[in-house]
Amino acid sequence: MSPWRTSLRSRLVVGTLCCVIATVAIAGWALGRLFREHVAAQFHAELRTHLDQLTANIALDADGRPLLTLPLTDPRLSRPYSGCYWQVDGFGQGEGLKGQLRSRSLWDHVLSVPQDKPADGEIHQHRIAGPDGQMLGMVERTIHIDDAADGKSRSFRLIAAADETQMTEPVERFHGVLWLSLGVLVAGLALAVLMQVVVGLAPLGKLRRGLERIGKGEAQRIEGDYPAEIAPLVDEFNSVLEQNAAVVERARTQAGNLAHALKTPLSILANSTSGLDDPLARTVREQVAGARRQIDYHLARAQAAANRLPGTRTALAPVIDGLMRAMHRLHAEQALDLAVQPMADNPCFHGEVQDLQEMLGNLLENACKWARHRVEVNAGVAGGELWITIDDDGKGLPAAQRSAVLQRGVRADEQVPGSGLGLAIVSDLAQLYGGSVSLEDSPLGGLRARLTLPAAP
Amino acid sequence: MRILIVEDEPTLQAQLAEALAAAGYVADRADNGVDAHFLGDSEPYDAVILDLGLPRMDGITVLRKWRAAGRTMPVLILTARDGWHEKVAGIDAGADDYLTKPFHMEELLARLRALIRRAGGHASAELACGPLLLDTRNSRATVDGQALSLTSHEYRVLSYLMHHPGEVISRSDLVEHIYAQDFDRDSNTVEVFIARLRKKLPPDMIETVRGLGYRLAVPGGKE
Repeated sequence: MSPWRTSLRSRLVVGTLCCVIATVAIAGWALGRLFREHVAAQFHAELRTHLDQLTANIALDADGRPLLTLPLTDPRLSRPYSGCYWQVDGFGQGEGLKGQLRSRSLWDHVLSVPQDKPADGEIHQHRIAGPDGQMLGMVERTIHIDDAADGKSRSFRLIAAADETQMTEPVERFHGVLWLSLGVLVAGLALAVLMQVVVGLAPLGKLRRGLERIGKGEAQRIEGDYPAEIAPLVDEFNSVLEQNAAVVERARTQAGNLAHALKTPLSILANSTSGLDDPLARTVREQVAGARRQIDYHLARAQAAANRLPGTRTALAPVIDGLMRAMHRLHAEQALDLAVQPMADNPCFHGEVQDLQEMLGNLLENACKWARHRVEVNAGVAGGELWITIDDDGKGLPAAQRSAVLQRGVRADEQVPGSGLGLAIVSDLAQLYGGSVSLEDSPLGGLRARLTLPAAP
Repeated sequence: MRILIVEDEPTLQAQLAEALAAAGYVADRADNGVDAHFLGDSEPYDAVILDLGLPRMDGITVLRKWRAAGRTMPVLILTARDGWHEKVAGIDAGADDYLTKPFHMEELLARLRALIRRAGGHASAELACGPLLLDTRNSRATVDGQALSLTSHEYRVLSYLMHHPGEVISRSDLVEHIYAQDFDRDSNTVEVFIARLRKKLPPDMIETVRGLGYRLAVPGGKE
């Protein structure tokens, strides 16, 4: 999609503005045309008035030449070059017949008119050059006068003309004002559209910011009041978020309850055989150990939320701090030196806090179990991925066994207590998040576990 | 050494009590959070084994209340909850160790010994005082390599003195740490145990501090 189509706001603005501009342009064109026609009609009506007056007042003198019995009333006709003119031409050859009688405003100029002879009762319109070279609008008619002394009928061409600027100037002025005011109207409407879009779409902007806050993990739900049109959407989204959290929590609680319900009887069974060494006691002990592994493994998987909804974001540092406090206590006997190297710019895991605790807890527990003196944790973010390395200075693990201990239920050494599933659980959880765990040689001399997980944006 | 067992499953509670008694401890029992809180708040225990999923009051709450009230006895959480967030929550509430069910009784006893030892500031599983040596792992005492034959009460008195060498221990202190809560206590019996111990130990190892109690003499001054 082109850029303006991707934004609701620009779609509304562009769409409305197109309509407004088109409507205003048509209206402007129509208004201008109407006014021009009106002015033209007025202009020609005035010319006809002059022509009618001329027709009414013309007579023949004794020599058969035309004369005015009364002057025409419009004072412009007597002011030289005023722009309003009339002229009487006789028909026939010879210059003497042209401009036999002229308005005073023409002074010594004779209008040269195209060859034409309107039939009786017709009025013809022409455009001709005026005394100053300006264009004149002109009307003419033919009259016959019979009452000459010699009894002969004479025909004359009566001409009334006026400067066309009398017609075009008001039209131009009107056009100027018209387009200026239409421009103001468009600007006003555009402003109104913008305001409407900004005010009307403000709740959508708020909704977007609310979603961003959830995306960043700053909020658990979309807060605030929304207009009736989008309130159902917001409520629905919030209830989905809450339901998701509730489902995860319920699944965890149930899995935990089941484990609790099973583990206490298992403890009792195992303890009943303590001190006994007959085949039955051995079988019970073996089976209890097997059952415990199964429970641990499946419980860990069931409790894994592997939740990558937007908004699941877990800061790494507090989780590591909490686990380090626990490791100090749980491994107090070993007096280990547990070190967390400073991490740059607060790395965050794009996932659930308990899953991160489970993965790091198992890796740290394993490191502490094998370490002689020191365990070291490093972490950082590279290319959208969160990496954590946990080093120990224990005896390490041969390369051949490394992939095996990440598989389900394999233990490198059955002598050291532990269910033997810790690393396999970490590997499973990491894979659920699209991450991985690998085992390498540590610069401290023992084993290095490297955990890679999606980082929170 | 007197231990409080907080566990709501009666069979497991009995097994724990039996194992602790066999290892030379005295044990009180509670099967709900409210009783557990009261006992831990009022009796001087040397360690507590605490289940988390308890009726009436959750184990974590019990532990927080003890710690808030300044009770510092070592607490070992014994629970089926094995998530790391639960372990961290337990440790942060003030637990000293965390063991998940199902467990080996030997491991529980080893961790309990270590807790009590560390609480007394001892680094080793063997406590020494002059020629006297106490191995907390197998509840055996020797003098110059010669094993002492002790009754369980004698062992408890000696063990408590050995965990607090050089300190004056009152008779009532001893009574509280060698008898369970519901036992009919008679502080005169302490004198009998002290007298018997003195016969088995090198002379003058147990001093009587008049009006105050007893003290285990440390050769070469206080440790």
